[in-house]
Amino acid sequence: MTTSARRLAWLGLGIIVIGIVVGIAWPSAAESRSEHVRRLALEFRCVDCEGLSVAESATASAAEQRRDIGIRLDRGESDEQIRAAYVESFGENVLLRPASNGIGLLVWALPIAVVLLGGVGVFVALRRWSRQPRLVATDADDALVAELRTPVDDD
Amino acid sequence: MRATLGILGIAIGLGASAVGIVLLVRGVLRHDAGALRAGRACIFVVLAGALVAVAAMEWALLTHDFSIKYVAENNARSTPTLFTITGLWAALEGSILLWAVILAGYLAFTAHRFRRRLTDPMVGWALIVGLTVALFFFLFMAVAANPFTVVQGIAPLDGRGPNPLLQNHPLMAFHPPMLYLGYVGFTIPFSFAMAALITGRFGEGWLADTRRTTLVAWGFLTVGIILGAWWSYEVLGWGGYWGWDPVENASLLPWITGTAFIHSVMVQERRGMLRVWNLSLVIATFALTILGTFLTRSGIITSVHAFSQSSIGPWLLSFLFIVMATGIGLIAWRADTLHAPGRIDSPVSREAAFLANNLLFAGLAFVVLLGTVFPLLAEAIRGSTLSVGAPYFDRMTAPLGLLLLFLMALAPALPWRATSGEVLQNRLLVPAYVGATTMVFTLIVWTRDWSTVVGFGLAAFAVAAITRVTFVAVRARRRADATGWGRALSRTVAGNPRRYGGLVVHTGVVAIAVALAASGSFGIKREVRLTQGQSATVGGYTVTYERMRTDATAQKSSVSVDLAIVRDGERLGTYAPAISSYRNANQGIGTPSVRTGVFEDLYLTLVSSRSGRGRVTVGIQVQSMTVWIWIGGGLMALGTVIALAPHVRRRRVVPPAPGGLASDGPASGELVGSERS
Amino acid sequence: MKHPLRWVALAVGAVVAIFAVILAVNVGTDPRADLNTSRLLGKSAPDFSLARFDGTKVRLADLAGKTVIVNFWNSWCRPCREELPVLQQWYREHRTDDSVVMLGIPRDDSSRAIRDAARADQMEWAVANDQGAKSATLAYATRGQPESFVISPRGRIVGSVLGPLTPGTMDQMVQAGQQNA
Repeated sequence: MTTSARRLAWLGLGIIVIGIVVGIAWPSAAESRSEHVRRLALEFRCVDCEGLSVAESATASAAEQRRDIGIRLDRGESDEQIRAAYVESFGENVLLRPASNGIGLLVWALPIAVVLLGGVGVFVALRRWSRQPRLVATDADDALVAELRTPVDDD
Repeated sequence: MRATLGILGIAIGLGASAVGIVLLVRGVLRHDAGALRAGRACIFVVLAGALVAVAAMEWALLTHDFSIKYVAENNARSTPTLFTITGLWAALEGSILLWAVILAGYLAFTAHRFRRRLTDPMVGWALIVGLTVALFFFLFMAVAANPFTVVQGIAPLDGRGPNPLLQNHPLMAFHPPMLYLGYVGFTIPFSFAMAALITGRFGEGWLADTRRTTLVAWGFLTVGIILGAWWSYEVLGWGGYWGWDPVENASLLPWITGTAFIHSVMVQERRGMLRVWNLSLVIATFALTILGTFLTRSGIITSVHAFSQSSIGPWLLSFLFIVMATGIGLIAWRADTLHAPGRIDSPVSREAAFLANNLLFAGLAFVVLLGTVFPLLAEAIRGSTLSVGAPYFDRMTAPLGLLLLFLMALAPALPWRATSGEVLQNRLLVPAYVGATTMVFTLIVWTRDWSTVVGFGLAAFAVAAITRVTFVAVRARRRADATGWGRALSRTVAGNPRRYGGLVVHTGVVAIAVALAASGSFGIKREVRLTQGQSATVGGYTVTYERMRTDATAQKSSVSVDLAIVRDGERLGTYAPAISSYRNANQGIGTPSVRTGVFEDLYLTLVSSRSGRGRVTVGIQVQSMTVWIWIGGGLMALGTVIALAPHVRRRRVVPPAPGGLASDGPASGELVGSERS
Repeated sequence: MKHPLRWVALAVGAVVAIFAVILAVNVGTDPRADLNTSRLLGKSAPDFSLARFDGTKVRLADLAGKTVIVNFWNSWCRPCREELPVLQQWYREHRTDDSVVMLGIPRDDSSRAIRDAARADQMEWAVANDQGAKSATLAYATRGQPESFVISPRGRIVGSVLGPLTPGTMDQMVQAGQQNA
């Protein structure tokens, strides 16, 4: 494939990708009430279960909690207010996604820091390796090789 | 009688481990071949002891010998035979016994395989380390977690029976043993890694010696985890297959580090680099397997306080501490000679891709580990606890997973050492277009959720890249040999089974990635109350409640409902979710009924049948692409088997001279895995 | 830096050791078993409106001025059966005491099962059916059953127990209610 044809092909791909990004980012229709309830319910831990969310659990307490979330939304409460209300009653461990303030910040920040640090380390190492000068023959080396190549006088 | 036999078996295992260690140490330090042979024989005695103990326990279970506490707690007369047999691993003590017998098996296999290299200190020390691990487990059984403890007083007439969740699906027979075959298998590469550190021969020798065993262990662990997900889906009834539960995470962690290890050894084989990293990875993998099995059995994560209720906690901590301390200590001791002179020539090379791969896997392991133990740490530091659940793990692992998917597409197209951007562009252009087209298609037809779109696109990109690379090789082989496509394909694969096995495994991973990406965006979940004859329509499926059945066996009594399913006018059959009550449980255990389709699963549960007016509450879920997880798992298993196949061209690998110089350069030629046995 | 690897290894070792020490030190303490496990402690008790099987209504607001013991239970949970004798004994002793009221609220059970159990076990204190019980169990942030709360005459939650009641905890509850007038 010629260079210009290749460039054109990749350019075309780039345009398609931009189109995809636009398509994803385009503001979508507002979520329905049931979608909203489900989205919030996914954040709360069902108390009768082993780590399942309120959205996924089939227990009566989870069903009641989903109903309650709907009632609160109808009352006009915001997501934050609903979260705060449940944390108030059940404690912080009702949230399946740890809050990003306080000690919870660590659990979000540490992995990002580790991966970034590791990435920087790999990048630096790769740069260092590719910067190391390749050995180039000097004139002295050429002379040595020529000397060795001259046939030795036989006695 | 059976208890005595079992305790005898454990005692034999314990004694033979101790004696074997002493003999082997003496043999290695004094070059005493006789001691080495005797030590090796001890390994087989350990296996015999473990087998005797297992036989005694199965005998006790099958004859319902309730004088043994373990049998009384995990078996009942009404327990079906299959679950009586699987009762061996129903609780902690029995599963430690299973671990011990599998470990003894792996050690015996290793002792047999390296029988002609017994005088090699590497083999000697590896067997010593392996036996030490076995010693721990037998000691643990003898002192803290004895499966053959006898009931005080009179034996009960009937046992309690196993936990209902452990006796309602045949998968119970496969999932734990597969997991353990995986976990325990990593003891062998760990032992060889320690031997490499001890003997100072940390070149590629120990990698070549353990490549097959590592792959076998990894394969079993993969299958075990997939079976666990299947169990969660088919048995537990919540409609999901992975909940980021601490127990699930505990099994995933050694898999993540093990996968990183399988990839980074290839860099060490070719360039002699990453020695320390590989040694650390394998030590970490082994430590994580120990952590994993004990987390599953001791409940330490759900509460710090459960730890203190039995004595297994201190044992676990001590053993883990010893393992970590020994490993880290050895590395620190050898630090000055461990550094390898190699370097990576170009960032656009497969070595660099493997470096990136390992970075991402390390990040993945860190996220899963941190998220799992964080509640523990938070509670220890500030008293009140918090939860780290699926939303955290999903959000943190998704980007890493997508990047890994991207790398998986790239890597087969990247040559070793270095390449130009042009070559790479040529190789990746068509697959990239395939990926982009898929993304556009997904956007238009399916959803606009970014993780699904990107996931599908990268999956298509990866499949196209793998197909392309295989096609090019098969086409070249066809021309070279002037044969048909079929024979060319089989010859290509047979010529490099490691590579093509790996590509099949990658295809399996892509299938799983597709299922995971689809689950993020699509899914309907409803609960409907139906009277007899009434229907409800969810997601295109019309569900009609036909009748209720009750069924009672000695083991359990169940209520099930027959649901007729119709979609687009076509009758799809009758499915029957149920709720069962087991004798020893408080609440009913639900059994879902799943209609599996290529693109969709219809997931039916019976939520309650208690209504006075004859109404039942049925849960109806429609899930996308779930079957691709099981298909992906099967492909990964197939790929592992292919990768284990011997090369068609056999080259002898000369074993390093015993007690000789450290081999610290890259192995010459391509390591083609051609061990003699 | 000479042998950076050695330092890295020792640093990793230090982190692992710290983690192990944290675990080991905190394993011993067990703050689980005490009264003050609910987050609602000290807050005003959420009102509820429930119906008994004889049709009469029970509202918390109507019980102002009395110490109220609320017991969340159901017919199929084992620990609930375990605490039954404790509740019955206590009720027998305090039946004539007007200042204390005990109320049983079903948690995750059907009316029919509750009624059958209450009848079979001769639960003589006020037992509500499941109408409105669900919102009460959520309002009180119950985490399982049996779970019991004591509400002071002023309407504050002054004690809670998650798990079966014992005679000792029962007395503690009543005392807490009467002290915090």
